[in-house]
Amino acid sequence: MTFEIEIGGRSRTITVEKAGAGVFGVTVDGRRCELDAARVGIYGLSLLDRESGASREVQVTPSSVPGELLITLDGRAVACTVNGRRSRRPGPDGSGSAHGEQAVIAPMPGRVVRILVAAGDEVAVRQGIVVVEAMKMENELRSPKAGRVKEITVVPGTSVEAGRVLVVIE
Amino acid sequence: MKILVANRGEIAVRIIRACREMEIPSVAVYSDCDRDARHVREANQAVHIGPSPASESYLRIERIIDAARRTGADAVHPGYGFLAENARFAAACRDAGLTFIGPSPESMSLMGSKTAAREAAIRAGVPVVPGIDSPFAGDAPDDEMARAAADLGYPLLVKAVAGGGGKGMRTVEKPSDLPGAIQTARSEAGAAFGDSAVYLERRILQPRHIEIQLLGDHHGTVVPFVERECSIQRRHQKVVEESPSLAVRPELRRRIAAAAAAVARSVGYYNAGTIEFLLDEDGSFYFLEMNTRLQVEHPVTEMVTSLDLVQWQIRIARGERLQIDPDRALTPYGHAIECRIYAEDPDLGFMPSPGLIRGLRPASGPGIRDDSGVGVGYTVPVFYDSMIAKLVAWGSSRDEAIARMRRALAEYQVLGIRTTIPFFLWLMHQPEYIAGAYDTTYLDRLLASRRESFNELDASEEDAAAIGAALDAYLRASTAAAGQNGGATSLLWKRNARAEALRG
Repeated sequence: MTFEIEIGGRSRTITVEKAGAGVFGVTVDGRRCELDAARVGIYGLSLLDRESGASREVQVTPSSVPGELLITLDGRAVACTVNGRRSRRPGPDGSGSAHGEQAVIAPMPGRVVRILVAAGDEVAVRQGIVVVEAMKMENELRSPKAGRVKEITVVPGTSVEAGRVLVVIE
Repeated sequence: MKILVANRGEIAVRIIRACREMEIPSVAVYSDCDRDARHVREANQAVHIGPSPASESYLRIERIIDAARRTGADAVHPGYGFLAENARFAAACRDAGLTFIGPSPESMSLMGSKTAAREAAIRAGVPVVPGIDSPFAGDAPDDEMARAAADLGYPLLVKAVAGGGGKGMRTVEKPSDLPGAIQTARSEAGAAFGDSAVYLERRILQPRHIEIQLLGDHHGTVVPFVERECSIQRRHQKVVEESPSLAVRPELRRRIAAAAAAVARSVGYYNAGTIEFLLDEDGSFYFLEMNTRLQVEHPVTEMVTSLDLVQWQIRIARGERLQIDPDRALTPYGHAIECRIYAEDPDLGFMPSPGLIRGLRPASGPGIRDDSGVGVGYTVPVFYDSMIAKLVAWGSSRDEAIARMRRALAEYQVLGIRTTIPFFLWLMHQPEYIAGAYDTTYLDRLLASRRESFNELDASEEDAAAIGAALDAYLRASTAAAGQNGGATSLLWKRNARAEALRG
């Protein structure tokens, strides 16, 4: 079985085949290794390299952003998509990438407090667009690009889930 | 005695633990979204006090007093936050015949006012940050303000009397900037607090935040403890605390502790409290404010003194005399560090990351203490502060404590939501942190220039993560396929096996 795995903007083609009881041949971008894989709980995997004995523990969980998985390893966690399921994880400013039509997306569940623009407004990149409150903090979400406000899909007071499109910039 | 814990989260769990150890029954209170919270499950009794927003539950004095009445609780522990520093609440408990586990409402309201507390410190002979004695009149002429500023010396701070959270506060480096700074500080303070009065204070460059924990009993004894160093702050919020401070030698420790105790004694303070100081590079220290409650960071003091502060709070409230050797309270044994684990995404500017906790493996092992308020299956709500746990590491030396903290952070798994664990793992490797060469401005300066992710993996780790995702998808696909082919058989087999087990 072949998977496209994307982490941190880099995509890998990974092929998995069964090579024995709990043992799998795994080929990453053409390099093959044999791994002993044991399930640990619902989300955990203990991986042992059959050749070197190197041990890794990874946890694969759904995240609060639809379509995204979180891989946890040694105290850090990275977002991941399998077979190009569109992740809508926003960038550091609550933005996506900077080309074409872009959405300002709620990065966490919360409540819309203020909308700082009106439909049709010209906006600059990183201009504040909407303020979402969660956990006693107001978070200003900014425009991913310079452009024009095409659509506002929420009103102040709306409760939003993570991943919800709030404003579309074109 | 039966104690109602008027709080939630890790601090409610912490207080309930003390109650259990002392064999005192405890009563939890909870809002709608906290029905399945850990503090509810660990208390002996629990009372629902309203909808999820704190203003309709954890901040409702009458509902909490009523919960105490209904359950026959005769004492209330407020924890920190919510009503902990609300003198009206302390007074309402007293009026209802409940023992409030904390200071008197009178000392709470006295020390809760920044200006009154500053005056109390001055009366007790404790230095405060140099500043002008009274705020400027609204129509004070520019040259009067310029003279006052010149007497104080630059750089200085223009501060709103009613200020807080950095609002109505301006740094002024040179005389020509003064009029503009006063004007903006006034209009900001007027808009934010409805009071545009401002005053001037000398700006201490690169100060450390040092605080002294105190316990006072109802018989006039006040015991100060070894200092806590809380200079690692993000936007004026403490994120890492430790004890002792590398900047405080025993002689300085004795002087700061004596100053703190003098302030507390002068206002007849009892129960737990903390006095915060700014420590200048030259070793001078200045009274900042007093917190009239248990602090979030109290565990670091407990770890280096082996004393249980919450148990002592309860014993003091029962009228017991403090029986703590003052030398022991002032002499740290080893070193302790605390990291506040927040449900926040450090890669998104520390944006809150509430949600379902799908898996949890707290760190444990030598020298590690985990004060947590959450469990697997709990949804971190959007309504409250985002701190979910405090991880504390103790070592015989500071280096050992740092090594244990790193090990514990890598061990700690919180699955399903983002947390600040990766940020702490990064911080515990920063050369300035390791050297102890930091002040209250350090972390904000460091973060301002940082663009990289805190979750960076090296090439081999990233391969392992990708392989894990692929194997997970593979195994789930095979399980699903097996379910389709042999699902009925396997279910039947399971049922039979269970029946067998029950018969056996």
